[in-house]
Amino acid sequence: MDLTRRGFLVGCSAAIAGLAGSRFNTVAFADPGGGADILIVVFLRGGFDGLSLVPPIDGADRGHYEAARPSLRIPTSGPGAALSLDAGFGLHPSAAPLLDLYQAGHLAIVQAVGMSDVVNKSHFDAQQFIELGTPGSHSIPSGWLSRHLAGTAGGGSVIMPSLAIGDLQPTSLLGSTETVNLANPASFDLDNGPWLWRSAQRTALRQMYGDSTSWLHDAGLQALDAVDIIDLNVTEDYVPSNGAVYPDGQFGDHLQVLAQMIKLDLGLQVATLDLGGWDTHEGQGDGSTGYLADLLADLSAGLNALYTDLDGAGASAYTNRLTVVVQSEFGRELYENADRGTEHGYGNLMMVLGGSVIGGLHGTWPGLAPGQLVDETDLAVTTDYRRVLSEIMIRRLCNSDLDSIFPGYTGYSPLGIVEGIDAPIGSVFGDGFESGNLSAWSSST
Amino acid sequence: MDIDFPQGSTPSLRAALERARLERAARRARPAHKASPTAPFPVAAPMRPRPLAGGAEAVPSPPDAAVIALRRLAYGPRPGDIAAFQALGSSDGERLAAWVDRQLDPQSIDDSPADARIAQSGFTTLGKPVTDLWIDHVLNYVEWDDHIQPFVETVLLTFLRAVHSERQLFEVLSEMWHDHFSVFANDFAIAPMFLHSDRDAIRPHVFGRFRDMLEAVTKTPAMLYYLDNSVSSADDPNENYAREMLELHTLGATAYYGSMAPEDVPLDGEGRPLGYTETDVIVAARCLTGWTVRDRDWDPDFGSTGEFFYYDPWHDHDPKTFLGVDLPANQPPMQDGYDLFDIVCEHPATGRFVAQKLCRRLVGDFPPQDMVDAAAAVFTAQVDAPDQLRQVVRTIVLHPSFRTTWGDKVRRPFEVAVGMLRATRGDLPFERFDPATDWFRWMYYQTGQPRFEWHPPNGYPDVKMAWTSTSPRVMTWRLANMLVQVEDDQDMPYLDLLGETPAGVRSATAIVDHWSERALGHVVEEPERTRLIEMMAQGRNPTFDLPLDTDTDTQSRLRALVALLFMAPSALWR
Repeated sequence: MDLTRRGFLVGCSAAIAGLAGSRFNTVAFADPGGGADILIVVFLRGGFDGLSLVPPIDGADRGHYEAARPSLRIPTSGPGAALSLDAGFGLHPSAAPLLDLYQAGHLAIVQAVGMSDVVNKSHFDAQQFIELGTPGSHSIPSGWLSRHLAGTAGGGSVIMPSLAIGDLQPTSLLGSTETVNLANPASFDLDNGPWLWRSAQRTALRQMYGDSTSWLHDAGLQALDAVDIIDLNVTEDYVPSNGAVYPDGQFGDHLQVLAQMIKLDLGLQVATLDLGGWDTHEGQGDGSTGYLADLLADLSAGLNALYTDLDGAGASAYTNRLTVVVQSEFGRELYENADRGTEHGYGNLMMVLGGSVIGGLHGTWPGLAPGQLVDETDLAVTTDYRRVLSEIMIRRLCNSDLDSIFPGYTGYSPLGIVEGIDAPIGSVFGDGFESGNLSAWSSST
Repeated sequence: MDIDFPQGSTPSLRAALERARLERAARRARPAHKASPTAPFPVAAPMRPRPLAGGAEAVPSPPDAAVIALRRLAYGPRPGDIAAFQALGSSDGERLAAWVDRQLDPQSIDDSPADARIAQSGFTTLGKPVTDLWIDHVLNYVEWDDHIQPFVETVLLTFLRAVHSERQLFEVLSEMWHDHFSVFANDFAIAPMFLHSDRDAIRPHVFGRFRDMLEAVTKTPAMLYYLDNSVSSADDPNENYAREMLELHTLGATAYYGSMAPEDVPLDGEGRPLGYTETDVIVAARCLTGWTVRDRDWDPDFGSTGEFFYYDPWHDHDPKTFLGVDLPANQPPMQDGYDLFDIVCEHPATGRFVAQKLCRRLVGDFPPQDMVDAAAAVFTAQVDAPDQLRQVVRTIVLHPSFRTTWGDKVRRPFEVAVGMLRATRGDLPFERFDPATDWFRWMYYQTGQPRFEWHPPNGYPDVKMAWTSTSPRVMTWRLANMLVQVEDDQDMPYLDLLGETPAGVRSATAIVDHWSERALGHVVEEPERTRLIEMMAQGRNPTFDLPLDTDTDTQSRLRALVALLFMAPSALWR
């Protein structure tokens, strides 16, 4: 088998074909990252309202919050009351499935996170900055996750190190050629041609793309291999473990596919998926019910189902190697608007979920008093989002090459969100792959 | 490469960004193909794939000019197109020049067959003036389908024109300019008015003057809504459009100097600042304050007609300085905006940026720098010429490198789908509420390139990297399989592959040669040819006739084969 880093799947086809219907973990593929975690990044597109998910329920900030959000506030008692967390904060009642994870110590909520250097209220810019890993600059030609993979992606011994769920790859995986990208596994096949000749067509396709070597041929083989993997292994009759129930709809479906892929042991290191619809300029709902409540319920039920499904003992203890990050491009203003919605804000919470997470509230709450807000309307940012991600990279993904992952980011120190070892910054101790590859990328642009 | 200095960035970040800028500047001194200026946003910033360990890149050598032209400057050959091209002269250079000069003068090309075909699709919104679009589809709208009808008809019209119009270069460039001035059109506010953008702002200026297109686009309700200039006033200027106009439409992010003081920006040989700053962004926004839409029936000053409208009370009348040029206070209505357009269009950075994008669309992800430079020089020198863009495109196509570069780009899903319909003479209805059309659109949507639905303002990515990831690859293959099977309500295939196969073409070899010639413009080369013949022969002697006329299994194999031809590597190179 002649595997290359770019063509990670190229050459795997024989192995895949030989494995029809069976699980991949029966094959001794090398462990990609020295026991590194699987990182799932859930991006909440549109700027999600963290102040509704985790509102203050006590103290002076409760007063500021209630005054600013007379119709949107989550009550502290009676129907639809916030669930109590810690330190004067509550959880939106629709997010009850997250409370279980929180109380079990698997969920960390980092408050007041964002781009500490850049205030940018354009969805487009803010998402790009965050996903490129270079706030304030659009110029780098690769996403932060791509640069992580470039440094550690297993030296070619992995079938599928990275999976992006969606029509195109997200910016965080910009330039990653080891990523498999699909929107819907149910239609990710080549079975829609004239049925009698499906097999002949597929054989010819593989021959034509395998006959030569170029970026196009490699991309074609990669796509064919990805089809084989999905075809042979992602079944409609998948039964989640531990009675996990994924919510109906695309987000639940996507999470379930991720769980399936993780359980195939294909060497998955990074996966991305999106949940959109958070740009609630109007009609956000009435506190505990309505549009936003439904969206939060979807998010919470989905994350809970994923964790439940991947929890187990021994070889099934995927949660021990699982870290899920939930982030958005910015928060929303403290003050509700005339349309029962909220405008684009600044600071927001991030969530980190996993078996090695140090659960609880993290970060520094900046307060909601008028003098504590940014531009008189927005929650401040007290923790740069790269600080959260860097800790996960170092302690869970075994990659401390922060200069490559987040160029220009300095002053990192861990917040204590996840367990793990603090390697010296600038080293990669997965398979020892040099980080110098990044400069080779950039120099070609 | 651009480095933005965000306002309020920390000294350490700025130092890091400055280092990066210096490194990039040093790289820029390397050979031209490595130093191509890149688009401002990474989705459009090309990156060569990492080289294969020990492997050689086997990119095919450039085919005949006919194939290059019909694949880059058209949506692929229809039967007869290659022969017509070859009859245009005695050398590739002569033929290409003759072909492109005809295409550059679209009015000289009789397009009545395409017009007649479009008339069959039963569209009812295409000729409506802006005020009628507004009244019929905004003010009086009852159902969603009626509300978005002008958008849907524009999408269907775009497919029909790409498939049927003889003015192919015009269609290819219309696609390019829609990406350049991209709006997300399947939007509540924009969908009813987007037809106007296509019909009245983009298409009239495709071979005209860039500044005219810029001004026309700026005034469209679609753009005024999409990037918020419609609510920009002196008291509360909205920078969204001004910023993207400078960064994505004109000067480009390579000319962005961030929060640097305007007086500190280095000057070029003519004393002009090399680029723009945050201050210039704000000034540009102020120049365009009051440019809005008549969309307030409660306000007699505005009225509600959906038309572009300059509202003087919202305009900032103070004196301004943009890119070092002083604009006096209280200029006549809209003059600040006109001056703004003049300044950016004359600036050489705009010529370079637009030339780069055109070359990337028409040639490759890394177009030769001397080609970009030549196109940029024409753009700037001819900035006032009524056929400025025609001259720029001609410069690119007739540049010697146009015929010697190949294989640095992949056809996007739209090109594959339209190319397949052209090669097979497939005539999908492209009508609203037609089941076959709806099925096609649903399948096409999944390729990642639905027309006019890219959310951010930078347009669909135009680099191979974006379109070779697994999802667009597999979904475009599936689209080919769908097209060879889609049937009308009488179970007749829209792609009549059997009827389109000449009577003498019955052996596997002849079938592959015939259909590859139609699909690719030339007989497919080895080793692909052998693979395709083996697929079609299925163990029979490939020179023996197959029972194509009588055997339904052989007929369905022909369908699988033609789909396969459009899935093959040979069909995707550009």
